[in-house]
Amino acid sequence: MAANSRTLEIKVISAENLQLDRKPIKKNASVTVRTDTNSQFRTTDMDTEGGAYPRWNETLVLDLPTHSKSITVEVQCKTSSSVRTIGTATIPASDFVGGYVPEGYLHFLSYRLRDHKGERNGIINISVSMEAQKMYAYASSTTWSNSTMGFPATGNKSFGSGVVTGVPVWYGVYQKDY
Amino acid sequence: MGGCFSDVRGGKDAVGGDLPRPTEPNAKNDGAHNDAIELFYRAHGAYPLFTQLELSFSASKLLNLDVTSKSDPMVIVYLKKNDGKLEELGRTEVILNNLNPVWIQKVSVAYQFEMVQNLIFRVYDVDTQYHNVPVKTLNLKDQEFLGEGSCVLSEIVTKQNRSLTLTLKGKNGHGGLRNFGTLTVHAEETIASRSAVEIKFRCAHLDNKDLFSKSDPFLRISRTVETGGSIPICKTEVVDNNLNPTWKPLCLSMQQFGSKDNPLVIECFDFNSDGNHILIGKLQKSVADLEKLFKEKSGVNFFIPSSRAGHEKVLKGQLFVDQFCEKEQFSFVDYISSGFELNFMVAVDFTGSNGDPRKPESLHYIDPYGRLNSYQQAITEVGQVIQFYDADKSFPALGFGGRTANGTVSHCFNLNGNASESEVVGVEGIMAAYANALRNVALSGPTLFGQVVNRAAEIAARSLSSNNNKYYVLLIITDGILTDLQETKDALVRASNLPLSILIVGVGNADFKQMEILDADNGQRLESSTGRIATRDIVQFVPMRDVQSGQISVVQGLLEELPGQFLSYMRSMDIKPLTFNAAAQASRALEIL
Repeated sequence: MAANSRTLEIKVISAENLQLDRKPIKKNASVTVRTDTNSQFRTTDMDTEGGAYPRWNETLVLDLPTHSKSITVEVQCKTSSSVRTIGTATIPASDFVGGYVPEGYLHFLSYRLRDHKGERNGIINISVSMEAQKMYAYASSTTWSNSTMGFPATGNKSFGSGVVTGVPVWYGVYQKDY
Repeated sequence: MGGCFSDVRGGKDAVGGDLPRPTEPNAKNDGAHNDAIELFYRAHGAYPLFTQLELSFSASKLLNLDVTSKSDPMVIVYLKKNDGKLEELGRTEVILNNLNPVWIQKVSVAYQFEMVQNLIFRVYDVDTQYHNVPVKTLNLKDQEFLGEGSCVLSEIVTKQNRSLTLTLKGKNGHGGLRNFGTLTVHAEETIASRSAVEIKFRCAHLDNKDLFSKSDPFLRISRTVETGGSIPICKTEVVDNNLNPTWKPLCLSMQQFGSKDNPLVIECFDFNSDGNHILIGKLQKSVADLEKLFKEKSGVNFFIPSSRAGHEKVLKGQLFVDQFCEKEQFSFVDYISSGFELNFMVAVDFTGSNGDPRKPESLHYIDPYGRLNSYQQAITEVGQVIQFYDADKSFPALGFGGRTANGTVSHCFNLNGNASESEVVGVEGIMAAYANALRNVALSGPTLFGQVVNRAAEIAARSLSSNNNKYYVLLIITDGILTDLQETKDALVRASNLPLSILIVGVGNADFKQMEILDADNGQRLESSTGRIATRDIVQFVPMRDVQSGQISVVQGLLEELPGQFLSYMRSMDIKPLTFNAAAQASRALEIL
């Protein structure tokens, strides 16, 4: 991970009241999270059981560039013919970074989804934390962070490579790079 | 949420299966909390949140009143009511010949967060002739008084090991020169309070009760009682248009279902927005039976009861248990006694609509004879309960809508007149700062909550840098209608994922309909102007004029919800009581060595 981006851990929890053509969807909703520079994106698995109220509880990890101002969350539904976008929400970085809340705080956030016409179409529930720190986590090597615990890690911190000391952090993630 | 939903969306939400809201007395109830109180609350539409506690006692250096041997002491526990009368809660056994007794018999008391529960403990020396007589029948006039101690129940609960040592005094509180010794009271929750099961239900082949679509099923789970009826303990959310639904996992605490072998009635209804839900089917299973269903991955059929016993119609519809796990849920007392605190903050409305404080009709009139005005009442009722949960009793006291000394109208100023520090000490401190502010701040307007909510959110967020064991409660007292509803909504949404609850009390005669939108009890989550939606419902509103005569005050209704809000925050953030964390970290440190 380069020094000018931060690790963002987003757990896509659930969504509510998703509709296509004014009818609740039946199944196969999934969520894609993107940075505003479009440099990265990750997608969850499809939910097959929840219908218009899907539950994923899936954690996605992104590297968010330092100058990034927001991320977008897009909910899609795979129908028999195609993949259609149900709605998107734009999440300003200020909602989970800065302010008086300390780094690494687990923010539970919810947003209104709007479809391509700008009309409301459901709600998305997520949790976001800026650094993947749990227990004896390593400190981030980014330039501006000031985390207070752990031992400095050397080199790259993208999970799966790099050196960490202490108890490895649970990610529970798998990436889907399309 | 024990109220009635008039809004369909809210009416479809799950109720009761999430939070530990015991609505039935513990099966081993010994009378400290009885069915009459249950019925009273239910008749008023409210379910009290209480926890059954057991008090155990020991004493040291008791007076010796016996001539040839030592005193034979016994403890009696009383609850002092608002009218000063004492209600006996229970007695320990008599211990013979001992000035440093450790009693075995415990006394049960229902811990009710929303009330200040004044307890009085009296120690008696029981005369020899009464030694083989049941303790309950002893007439105290015949016994010798050894000493008395008193405290508020919350003082015991907030102590590290839930033990409080009191210095005993003589009758009427006079210590005098005599040393009456000490009494130590220890509180323990009954084990049942902490166990819970999380169950994910699914149904298949349900009957269709709707005409043009499919049934909208939900489950209601009730506990059977000895008298033959059943009391609902929770219901799932509604799944629309589905004859093979899966619901979100339900969490049932042992306090709700009693024991794993207690039969539960599970009914499946088809939701109708007019309130006439149609019964699809019902069945009776205990929690142990449900666990078996999960392990065997088998289903059980619903049936329709019929007037002819033994001729119930067995239906095609089946119930399955897709997930079953037992877990330990830390209780409110677990957190509080381990060092978690509730920090209280107050914000008072200084808008002109209250009326000139010098005139008796004003809502801010300070009566020279001591009768409290509505603002003072609300501050006292909430403050007196919460102060016990705040270690330093240092409370930020704010005002909004007033014109301060420098001539400008402020929507967040310190009542104590200090430019930088908003804190005052104790409820008395708040009252003094409030009276002081009335002399120095001119009432103005308009009514805006945004800034005080932001300030409270800032205080709560800042505290997170040092620790996560503080939960903040902001009490806003207002007489009027918000001028900028959207700005307030924005502030509330931004604060909704912080350890903060907001209680709003409306005083005076205004029409507070608009405030109910903030309360979000109708199921509509608050939405900010940027599209962000409130993470949780942190606001409660109640108009003061709904005070019913009698013991239950409307403000108590607000306070009842606090432990639930506190617990839902801690659990969702996966924050555990401090002692648990300390022990875990200590053992991990040992592993590394």
